[in-house]
Amino acid sequence: MIAQALLWGVLYALPLFVRSDFLLTIFIFTFIYGILAVTFDLIFGFTGQLSMFHPAVFGVSAYMTYLLASQYKLPFWVATVPSALTAVVLAVVVGSICFKFRLKTFYFAVVTLAFAEMIRLVVMNWNSLTNGTLGLVVSGKPTIYWPGSGVVAIRGPIAWYYLTLACLSVTVLICARCLRAWMGRCFGAIRLNEDLARTLGINVFRYKLLAFAIGNALASFAGGLYGYYTGYIDPGYLGINQSMEILAMVLLGGQGTLLGPIVGSFVLTGLPHAIDLRAEIRAILYGAILIFTILAMPRGIVGTLGAWKARRGP
Amino acid sequence: MALEVRELSKRFAGLVAVAAVSFTVRPGEILGVIGPNGSGKTTLLSMMAGLLPPTSGSVIWKGREIQALRPDIIAGLGVVKTFQNPQLFAELSVFDNVRVASHLALKRALGLRRGLELLGAARAVEKQLARRVSEVLALCNLDGAAGQLAGNLSYGEEKMLGIAMALMCEPELLLLDEPASGLGRDEIRNLEEVLVKLHAAGTTLCLVDHKIGFLRGLAHRVIALNHGEKIAEGAPESVLNDPAVVEAYLGTGHAHA
Amino acid sequence: MTQLVLGQVLNGAIIGAMYGIIALGITLTFGITGIVNFALGEFMMIGAYATYALAERGGLPYPVAVVPACLIAAAAGYLSNKAFFRFTRNNLVNGLLVSIGLISIFESASMLLWTATPVEMHFVLPGALRVGNIGLPKMKLVVFAVIVVVIVATYFGLARTWLGRAAFAYAQNPEAAMLMGVHTPRMETTVMLYSTGLAGLGGALYASLYSLEPAMGGVYVLKGMEAAILGGIGSLMGALWGGVILGVIEAVGSIFLPTAFRDAYGLAVLVAILLFRPSGLFGDE
Repeated sequence: MIAQALLWGVLYALPLFVRSDFLLTIFIFTFIYGILAVTFDLIFGFTGQLSMFHPAVFGVSAYMTYLLASQYKLPFWVATVPSALTAVVLAVVVGSICFKFRLKTFYFAVVTLAFAEMIRLVVMNWNSLTNGTLGLVVSGKPTIYWPGSGVVAIRGPIAWYYLTLACLSVTVLICARCLRAWMGRCFGAIRLNEDLARTLGINVFRYKLLAFAIGNALASFAGGLYGYYTGYIDPGYLGINQSMEILAMVLLGGQGTLLGPIVGSFVLTGLPHAIDLRAEIRAILYGAILIFTILAMPRGIVGTLGAWKARRGP
Repeated sequence: MALEVRELSKRFAGLVAVAAVSFTVRPGEILGVIGPNGSGKTTLLSMMAGLLPPTSGSVIWKGREIQALRPDIIAGLGVVKTFQNPQLFAELSVFDNVRVASHLALKRALGLRRGLELLGAARAVEKQLARRVSEVLALCNLDGAAGQLAGNLSYGEEKMLGIAMALMCEPELLLLDEPASGLGRDEIRNLEEVLVKLHAAGTTLCLVDHKIGFLRGLAHRVIALNHGEKIAEGAPESVLNDPAVVEAYLGTGHAHA
Repeated sequence: MTQLVLGQVLNGAIIGAMYGIIALGITLTFGITGIVNFALGEFMMIGAYATYALAERGGLPYPVAVVPACLIAAAAGYLSNKAFFRFTRNNLVNGLLVSIGLISIFESASMLLWTATPVEMHFVLPGALRVGNIGLPKMKLVVFAVIVVVIVATYFGLARTWLGRAAFAYAQNPEAAMLMGVHTPRMETTVMLYSTGLAGLGGALYASLYSLEPAMGGVYVLKGMEAAILGGIGSLMGALWGGVILGVIEAVGSIFLPTAFRDAYGLAVLVAILLFRPSGLFGDE
């Protein structure tokens, strides 16, 4: 508990010490991907469902947020709401199909992947709306109301840092509240022994769907943030590579924890940039790190640390 | 409230596991179901709890047919079953196992308002349920093991945990599938105590076992199955001495006229 | 119209055979050793580039270049298994992560060696066979024939020989198989060698028809996975059928519906199969 509070404290205080824009940028990407990773872990690490659907809501909401904001002159935050609702609808439709048919882990992953791919193809070919493979350039910035200054645009690394950190904090808070309550117990029960959970009165279908919907809804915000931050959206957002990236972050950091995915996100976002070598060499090192971690630390960084601490005793 | 089993049958591709069995579980009674291995006892119980769809026939609880309902709905209606091979959440502690089982109790206490728990506004109910968990664990003699991982328990403790979880669901009718199998003498005595206490508190029990001695002292009525058919029904002593029952257990030649 | 459909069906079948040989590798590996080798496309890529190197740069005649290419791919497979894959038995997520890591490594290594610029081999077997009004390139037919022969031979090899029976015993119960004298680490190694060698062969054949680039493996492993699931994981002939059916669906779908959604047609069928018949078309229930 204390460690967690300390960590958040450090993160919020960081820009006071760190001046490097480069480093701040790494943290910004860490936080945005962190949202994806944490929400993915809600579905996978906590509820036991290996979903490959995250890139779909990530990409769709990135496009939707920008298109709504630019077409209808809406503020960023207003535009994120229909995007999140769309994510919920997509998740409920896809999830209902998958969970109704009681798909096992591997097949659930395959079917969610198939749906994500189909959506990607639609996005990629809907040239009139999305500009296809050429992608969209995002002009404009999210704005917030800051007491004293009025409506302020988010500009520059420090503002983005705090914005993304705040969004990540809210995401983690919501997930934590869900997990601490009866909902979290149901998720865990489903992950550990679905059939037993059923006989104890848990509506397995409903809670799987709930985890899936919440995870995807929160993930959609990462899409809007990423699009506006990088200034560019293309169909690659919905690609399988994203799924792999997210999975790697969660496993590296520690599945079944809320901090693990954030740690994993930091390592995988930051590491390639920390190594000042050719892109191909960095990619090789990336692969090597993944393999080493999963074989040497199957519970991820946070998981292994937790187990080590538990063994040392109170 | 009574549970009525009406002409219940189950075929598995040519093998008839349960053949047109009919009986009633009277409210407040302890009903025993005996029969040699393979007589269809577990299949019968599974159908009563909604874990297996019957090939034909119906199960009627509180006036409605439940054989086609989902297990979680049936549990919510008050019919809960334990497993012969204990089913647990191995990675959770004993306490947390039973805590998970408090789901139905929470639903009954708060209904949709359980969403308040997300906002931290249901503390009182949470505490109350946690207390109930401790009570149930104490009843089952598991309070000492409350912090242990369920995966590390002995077989006897695992079985008691299964019963504790079932108890947490506040069943009106508890179906027990071979609760005494694999238990030592002390553990069986403990089990009997728990079941007697439970019955005294108003729960109807339906026990399946092939240990005749165990049921003899406990059950008010007994039905006997063989090859999926009901071959006897009545007071324990009369059923246990029924020639057909003796024959089923020991084979022809031992039956007395 | 029928000409068009027929032509597309044949083309689809040929591409499908390519999917099939990868599918066979996937189904063999997962079915017998319980390891998910999602990096199989990389071994295909290795085989393809090795063939290119030996034939184009090394001057060897194409058929002669194919064999060492397969062996190189198999060797890479052996090393990958020895170092990494064997620790991921029956663990889907670990196998996936190891695969992702290997894909990254192999693809980047290939980029370093060959750059991202596509390379091409000169025509191996120019000319086409005319069937009615349809022209089928001779090399494509050869590729198709080779793949079918290899898959069928694999099937009979496993169904009829001691090695095959041992493989199935191992798949069911490795401990029991070990007690019966089946040398289990060797079984696993053999399967990995063979499946990656097969992928290498697929790559070598691919090199004779298309241009190569380091990222080529990615698409094929996905198609191979689709085909393997469609046919039924664990079914050997199912791998071939799954591949061919997938190829044909994509090809025929592109006639009547937009080509841009080619991949989606196969995916839609895959989803339908998984929902209503999860064991695939030819898998056991």
